[in-house]
Parts: sequence; structure tokens; C-alpha cells
Amino acid sequence: MRDKRTTIADAIALVPDGARVALGGNTLHRGPGAAVHELVRQGKRGLEVVKTAGAYDIDLLCGTGVAASASVGFVGFETVFGMAPSYRRAVETGAVEAKEHACYTVIAGLRAAIQGVPFMPIAGMTGSDVPAARGFHRLADPYTGAEVVVIPALVPDVAIVHVHESDAQGNARVLGTRFEDVLMVQAARRVILTAERIVDGASFEASPESVAIAGFMVDAVVEAPGGAWPTSCAGLYDYDAAYLAEYVAASRDETSFRRFVEERVLATEPVLVSV
Amino acid sequence: MTATVGPREIMAVALARLLRDGETVFHGVASPLPMVATLLAQRLHAPNLIYLNITGSVDPRPTQLPVSTVDPRLLAGTRALVTLTDLFDLAARGRLDTAFLSGVQIDGAGRINMSVIGDFARPKVRLPGGAGSAALMPSARRTILWRTKHDPRTFVERLDFVTATGNVSHVVTPLCVFARRDGHLAVESIHPGVDRASLRAATGFPIAVTDETPVTPPPTAQELALLTAIDPERVSDSEFAKATGGG
Repeated sequence: MRDKRTTIADAIALVPDGARVALGGNTLHRGPGAAVHELVRQGKRGLEVVKTAGAYDIDLLCGTGVAASASVGFVGFETVFGMAPSYRRAVETGAVEAKEHACYTVIAGLRAAIQGVPFMPIAGMTGSDVPAARGFHRLADPYTGAEVVVIPALVPDVAIVHVHESDAQGNARVLGTRFEDVLMVQAARRVILTAERIVDGASFEASPESVAIAGFMVDAVVEAPGGAWPTSCAGLYDYDAAYLAEYVAASRDETSFRRFVEERVLATEPVLVSV
Repeated sequence: MTATVGPREIMAVALARLLRDGETVFHGVASPLPMVATLLAQRLHAPNLIYLNITGSVDPRPTQLPVSTVDPRLLAGTRALVTLTDLFDLAARGRLDTAFLSGVQIDGAGRINMSVIGDFARPKVRLPGGAGSAALMPSARRTILWRTKHDPRTFVERLDFVTATGNVSHVVTPLCVFARRDGHLAVESIHPGVDRASLRAATGFPIAVTDETPVTPPPTAQELALLTAIDPERVSDSEFAKATGGG
């Protein structure tokens, strides 16, 4: 298999404006922070971001005008820092469309994409305003006649996932919770991995079952130590509470948010953020 | 030792008492009180309760409780790891007994809004979103709601948007425990020291509160001691400072 190692700049150049981009991780944990900063740095526009539950990544991309819509189940910094200020402001001003999902509907859409079928039936959703607000149809089960909500296939143009270890071909290991990362990799047209470290793939041969992501589905691999920052990376580092507190405080106001992005996001070196 | 009893203690203990031995219990993101309550129930009356959460760990024994409830600290002690997909699937096939969910608005039928205040397309306030609630609430065998704010803006006559509805059995707040009977929330017990008129005034839909309404039994010394042992750093206090709603 070919060597897919590249720079963060060249990897993120694969993301066209207007692309549907799935982001790995969950809330404050193992989000692809370095890649998200590079999306901002390259001034991408019109992205649809996809995630079950996001925080810094979704908030920053919505606040900087990189994202035009967000297909997510939850956006917030949990009870650590509360609501996501820039996401809120962007949706309330109409700059970003909130494509409301239940987390399971994101998963159902990804599963339809993985299986190459146009939609996926899903349990639950009864009595919720979400299907009508989002245009999720109900169908009669052709066998019993019972009604079921069906979620359209959600095919990411690009999935971006941060992993603990990858080889040059994109075979990758994730320690701890995998979140929806493997589904995103399988569902997406192109896959970018950032990795804490690049290792010799021969080291995976003794226990290939511990490899979460098969390299033949991966397009680009970037060595990015600290690449989940400011979110956590299980076993390696915690989320950066001091940075995130500053970010959330600055984000309450458009002017201070812009200054924060100039000084702390755009002015910093790509990846290799000290953790 | 004298332990202070405030809304955190009352709510954590009330939530724990609702859990049953042997059942499967799940909480999602932004859920410190359900996390603490589930660990507490396992140490009290429910040693065989199966504690599931969004990290995918099963019966974790965290040595340090996280504020974020999808933190890797919740993997400590787990002997298996499932995925969030597995957990939604478990609920979908009717095998999840209890889900903990919350709402920024909750109506008298126990329906929740975690989506918007105002119009959906151009909201006055964009809320975090319901996480898994629209799928989980109708498919989990029962849902326990909790909310650390009890005021007329939270407990409303009419929701701005119905994010989810389903099998709600109870709602635990800083003022009372509601039980859902015949499709409506009724006050099951009022917390010690809470004035009946204040509870009525804090609730935006009509409720029956009389002198006969039972008072929530105060936490016992054993419950409080275990709560302190489980959550010595009081991570569940964060729910009172940053009440985003979780699930």
C-alpha cells in the first residue's frame, strides 16, 4: 500500500469548500483539534460539519464562518464550561443552519452510507418535532404496516479523525473509546487521519484485531503529536481547561472572539502544540 | 461528621433511590448527577445494577470522577468496552431499562425541549440539542429526567419545540420529585424545607400540592457518607453552575 504521510496543510487542502465533513471524537475528547485549526487557517467556507456531540470544534468552525451548517446531536462544553457561544450566535443570526439530529440519527445516516443504501429505519423518534423540522420521513413497514422513521444516508465527503498511532498506510489504533470514528471512516468518501505518532506497521501484525481503522480506507496520514488539543487524548493528555475557559469567555462577544482567533488560533504553529 | 444537605445531596440521593437492582442504566454527556447517583445506587441497594454510559464502559469504578461525563476517567475498572451505537441499539431493541435525560424546558406531560427558544429556523436562543433523547426516550423502558433549575421558564405550560417525548417515569428537581401518572407530571414528594406555595409558583403548569403531599425523606447518614466517598471533589456541583441540560 502507498505511503500516505503528508503535512497538515496538504491534507486539509483535500477538503473542498462546501464539503460535508465528519469530525471524530466527542465533546471535550479526542476531537481533531489540529485539523480544525488548519481548516480555519486555510479559510474554508460553506462546510457542513457532522458529529454526534461536539464542543470546541463545532463552535470554532461555526464562529469563524468555516461551517455553513451543523448536523449534530449536541453542541456544548457540558457542565465544564456550559453552552457553545459562537455556535449559538451563528445559528441565532442565521449564519449557520442547525441541522438538528438525535445522536442516533447521525449514526443511522452513517450506517446507511456504510451499507450503500439510501436510508436507514430507526427506532424511537415518536412524538418528537425533530423529524418534521428536518424532513425525516416516516414509512410503513412493508411487512407489518407499522410506521417507522427513516434517516437519509449521511455520506461525509471527508472524515477527519485523530488517532493514537497510525502507520504510513493509515492502519490506525485508538486507545479507549472510539466514539463514532470508525463509522465515519467507513462512510466517508475520503479520510484524513492525524496521529499522535507514526509507527512501523509491522508492529501491528502481532495483534491486528487491536487496529481500529484499516489503512485501505484512508487517504492521508499526518503526524500530529498533541493533535487532539485542546480536547483530551485518552492515556496521553487531558483537555486544556485553562485554554478552553479563555476561549469560552472570549467567545461570548463577537469582537473578543475574533481577536482570540487571530491571536490564539491563526497565529499559532500548525500542530505540534505543546501539551 | 456533619454533612451539609443542599440541592446536590437531595437530588443525587433522590435519583439513586429511583434505580433498581439488576437493571441496565445509561447516561450521556453533561450528566454528573446521574453519574454520581448511579454509582451511589450500586453501593446502596443495587449492587447488580449495570452501569452504562456514553464512554462505552460497563460498571466502571472511577478513581477520580470527571466533570465531563464522556471523559476517559469513566473507563477505569471496566472489563469490556461497547460503543455508543451498541447502547442506542440496546435501547432500540427494548433492552435498556433506564435512561437519564434532561431538558431546558419540561412540560406537564414530561416532554422536553433541548433545541430552541423561539422559532426553530431563526431561534431566539439556540440550545445545545437533545443529544440522543429523541431516539432514547421512546425506546428505553423508562426515562428519568433531572433538572437543576426549577422555575417557570423551565417547567412550562407549552414547549417551544418538542425535542423528545416518551417513557418518562420521574423528574427530579431541586424542589421536588415528580412522577408521571396518566400522562401527567404529579408531585410525588416535596423536598424538606421547600414551601408548598413556592413550588406551585415555580412550576409553570398546574400541580396539586396539598398538606398531604409527602415530604422527600432526607438523605440518611449512610447515603451522605457514600456520596462524599464517591464524589469527594463535588464534581456534581458543576450542574448548578452550568446547567446546559444533558443526555
